[in-house]
Amino acid sequence: MWKVASGVFLGWSLGANDSANIFGTGVATGTVKYRTAIMLTAAFVLLGAILEGPKCMATIKDISRLIPMEAFCCTLATAITMAVLTFMAIPSSSSQGIIGAVIGAGILSGTADFSKLYKIVICWAFTPVLGIVLGYFFYRFLKYLLNKTVNSLTLRNYIYFIGIIIAGSYGAYSLGANNVANVTGIYVGAGILSTETAAIVGGVSIALGVLTYSKKVMMTVGKGIVPLDPFSAFTVVLAEAFTLHIFTQIGVPVSSSQAVVGAVTGIGLAGDLRTVNLKMLGKIAGGWLLTPVAAGILSYLLIILMASGIV
Amino acid sequence: MFFDKILSHDKKEQRVIENIRGHIKLLCTACNTFRLGIGKNNRKLINDVAELERKGDSIRREIISNIYNGAFLPYLRPDLCKFVEIVDRVFDLIEDTAFLYLSMEIPEHSDREENSVSFFMKIPEPIKNDCARVAFFNVKICEMLLITFEAMLKGEDLGEKTLAIRIYEKKIDDIKFNMLEEIRKVDINNFWDGKILSDFITTITKVSDIIEDASDHIQIISVSMR
Repeated sequence: MWKVASGVFLGWSLGANDSANIFGTGVATGTVKYRTAIMLTAAFVLLGAILEGPKCMATIKDISRLIPMEAFCCTLATAITMAVLTFMAIPSSSSQGIIGAVIGAGILSGTADFSKLYKIVICWAFTPVLGIVLGYFFYRFLKYLLNKTVNSLTLRNYIYFIGIIIAGSYGAYSLGANNVANVTGIYVGAGILSTETAAIVGGVSIALGVLTYSKKVMMTVGKGIVPLDPFSAFTVVLAEAFTLHIFTQIGVPVSSSQAVVGAVTGIGLAGDLRTVNLKMLGKIAGGWLLTPVAAGILSYLLIILMASGIV
Repeated sequence: MFFDKILSHDKKEQRVIENIRGHIKLLCTACNTFRLGIGKNNRKLINDVAELERKGDSIRREIISNIYNGAFLPYLRPDLCKFVEIVDRVFDLIEDTAFLYLSMEIPEHSDREENSVSFFMKIPEPIKNDCARVAFFNVKICEMLLITFEAMLKGEDLGEKTLAIRIYEKKIDDIKFNMLEEIRKVDINNFWDGKILSDFITTITKVSDIIEDASDHIQIISVSMR
């Protein structure tokens, strides 16, 4: 059972990091209090993980048949890769990390199923694209709708507040539903946990990360990205939530950070705002390639070291 | 607190809006009181302007405290506070104008000795009518500010309203240049008489400038929430 520990650690760091994509702008701008934000995020992450988390677990389970020790090494390799890349300020994705690690382990054991990989890679490529499309569409459509129907300043203020809360809660739900498979999905394939237990353990570990260690990242992300007005902040989170939820229905875990960057780019295009930072996009593309490759190599090496008894 | 905010709908915001509306209405009253005061040369009316300014201060404090107690999104709060501060500056200006007027036209000893000859310089005759016109336009521009604020609340187009404010401001500017030309012809016997007269003309004509700034700020608030 101790082999699940690395997955719990991965879930904790995912919760601490990715919750910033949900309520980061809301908290940093003072629209939502930090305490309220983490409570809502934790509750809805857990709900999403339990209700829809198993949908993505099948994908992780199918790309390779792993034994428990290999599953432990994969989550550990992913956690280390993410920690190192985060330290180097390179955006990293747990989804790409875990898939890379499982492929690395699968290559070593000869069980890797590359036929499933194309679907995953296509989904990764389409994550920011869908974020852009949905961000653009929501910005244009909701702005038109609000301008036609809500003219009162006070009502608009109220709608923005409620909108940020609802979109954030939905974003947390989608994050839990989509990303819980990264954390504990691998243990389902290795036969350590049942799908339901994996969803609960993964959901709880992500929620713990949100509750205990998300403040710093939330403030950094919230203040670091372009200053968004309440309507844009609401639209970005809504587009991100939809993006994650759509990929959950397809059954592929994707990066919430890439969905957010896509959504911010989309509202930038729709509103003629300067939200696109080419340097940042370059960094994201670097992380996109580096994360699965580094996690794959690391899991490969870790399994060799464990199998030879060195570690 | 969180659920309070959701369930209370927009009560806090409505209270702030009501207070801002009251603040601008009070400014209209202050400007009109000043206009009537100089029209009748009435000390009591002119003194009332200072009383209205104090009431305005207290409303401003209440608005700002309500805003920082959670009314409106934090994104909008600085702009709303700035708008209220700009309106408050107009109150200060109209109060200063009233004091300067009192010190020139109705100095204190005139209450005690009705027929005494004032030792203080009075507003020169050639600009008296201009002062009354500026005071009249100040009332109009204040009323237009209230109309602009109401239009902003309803999400209406502000273009025509802000244009009207700019037109009033331009009219007052034209009167100001005329006044400046006229006072050059006036003999000034001592420094303080000249300074008080100059300050009076500056403050009475600056009211419209600040109201124009306030109307620009209404436009900013409107755009930022669209």
